Amino acid sequence: MTTEALLAREVRKTYKSRGAPNVDALSGVSLVVHPGERVALLGRNGAGKTTFLKIASTLLAPTAGTVEVFGHDAGARPDEVRPMIAVVPQEGKPFFHLTPREQVSTYLRARGYDRAEAKSRTEDALGQMGLLEVAGRLSITLSGGQRQRTMVATVIATEAPLLFLDEPTIGMDPFARRAVWESLRTLTRRGSTILLTTHYLDEAEALSQRLYIIERGRVLVDGTAATLKQEVGGSLRVSIPGGERLTESVRSFGSVMTDGDVLHVITTPERLTELMGIAVREHLTATVGPVTLEEAFLRVVGRSIDTEE
Amino acid sequence: MAVVHRRVPFRGLVAFSLTELRVQLHESTAIVTSLIIQVVLLLFVFILDRSLLPVALFGAILFSMFALGQRVQNEAAFVRIDHKLNELYLAGPLTPEAYFLGMSLGVLGGYLVPILVLVGATVYLVGISLVTAVVLLAAATGVWLFACSFGYFVSTLFRDMRTIWPYASIFYNLFGVLPPVFYPLSYWSGPLIPIALVMPPSAAAALVQSTIGWATLSPWELALAAGSLALEGLGTFAFAVYWARRTVREDA
Repeated sequence: MTTEALLAREVRKTYKSRGAPNVDALSGVSLVVHPGERVALLGRNGAGKTTFLKIASTLLAPTAGTVEVFGHDAGARPDEVRPMIAVVPQEGKPFFHLTPREQVSTYLRARGYDRAEAKSRTEDALGQMGLLEVAGRLSITLSGGQRQRTMVATVIATEAPLLFLDEPTIGMDPFARRAVWESLRTLTRRGSTILLTTHYLDEAEALSQRLYIIERGRVLVDGTAATLKQEVGGSLRVSIPGGERLTESVRSFGSVMTDGDVLHVITTPERLTELMGIAVREHLTATVGPVTLEEAFLRVVGRSIDTEE
Repeated sequence: MAVVHRRVPFRGLVAFSLTELRVQLHESTAIVTSLIIQVVLLLFVFILDRSLLPVALFGAILFSMFALGQRVQNEAAFVRIDHKLNELYLAGPLTPEAYFLGMSLGVLGGYLVPILVLVGATVYLVGISLVTAVVLLAAATGVWLFACSFGYFVSTLFRDMRTIWPYASIFYNLFGVLPPVFYPLSYWSGPLIPIALVMPPSAAAALVQSTIGWATLSPWELALAAGSLALEGLGTFAFAVYWARRTVREDA
């Protein structure tokens, strides 16, 4: 028995449907989340993030493999796991005919909190999510972002030992996203563990202490955002739209990647001027920026996170 | 973390029932319009043969209980398909059976007022003896257990709301309006009476009609109606509890 918050071993999931080929959504995912960590599953749409989260949160049976939550087998003994977890489902919405305050407090009551505790936690969570002004309005009258914040507030109010958040900030404005990030950081400081999925690179970088990059149902790499960026091999990214024909001539400057018709060269400050000169001589524009997780993702996966399958 | 959480059946039932009740009470228009079919059929009966009004009034009460199954079906499907709230609630301490029964009780609570209006009208216009009241309560409970259990089960079979709507109205209107619920059992074709006595809404109506003197049931027919209603009510309820537990985790 392990004391890891989450330990997944060789989790596989194959979706079978009549008259259509089987789909391997997960092809042997193994990962670990230590207690108190914030870990992100980063991947393109359809990479298998949600499937993994559903299996880990006891809502989907794996085809093979095991998941343990605080040492309890999520597959064999889901009833022991469920009281320790809380889930923000992807594209979930609060009850339209409840107010955010009612949504959060009734959910806490259903989880077993007494009235006073539920009330106090509700106000705290709504405050963190900046929802106090609209806490008394029916959710049907709220914007998509406010509804999503209500869902996040509902789950963070539980302070469950392990929280699963599937694309928690989708549809939110930048200020709301930062509020969610700060709340999640506070939660882990208080002892909760968080596993979230995202396809926002900035979110994964700003929020997660470690991340797993998933592609086509497999974990390709894991580590911190800093180590993944280091492995890219340089500190600057030069992007040259339409620069594919320069691929061979710039190869000596560092790693070269293409994303559509854009040529990305990862290089060092010392060689920047020379590289820009090549682009200018070819009458091409070039932009320079620091290496981000985007380049790390591109290097590992071979295509941009926004590329559809 | 060595905490072992023991499974408590129906854990969270009261709180989730109250949640669902709150949701339902916010939908006052739907609650008011839930009586449309019943009022229209009562008007038909009143215009055609007002002596049948007592039968129709009791039928309207039983139909209202039966129609709650359609509401549970639509609510469970909407909450799962459109809101994904089943994932929020079921990946937590709330047990699946409490989720199913809590939703059913919440819907019942929300729509209790129009049902009580019908009961009040029946008491005022027809009168209800103690025996009739007991039989009506038992029959209505049987119908409700069957309807909400069946509705919840059906809700789990669909992946989009547009597909579920036509099935809902076919089932509940066909089995709630066509058989002798709003009219006396004696008007139903003789050879088909056993069929009416095994269908929950008409079995319940037959039992009530027999207590108010509008149906003469042999002991065998009485046993068939009461037995099948009890069996179908409790049987589908037990199945729905099993099904709720079974489907909390998708196997697909």
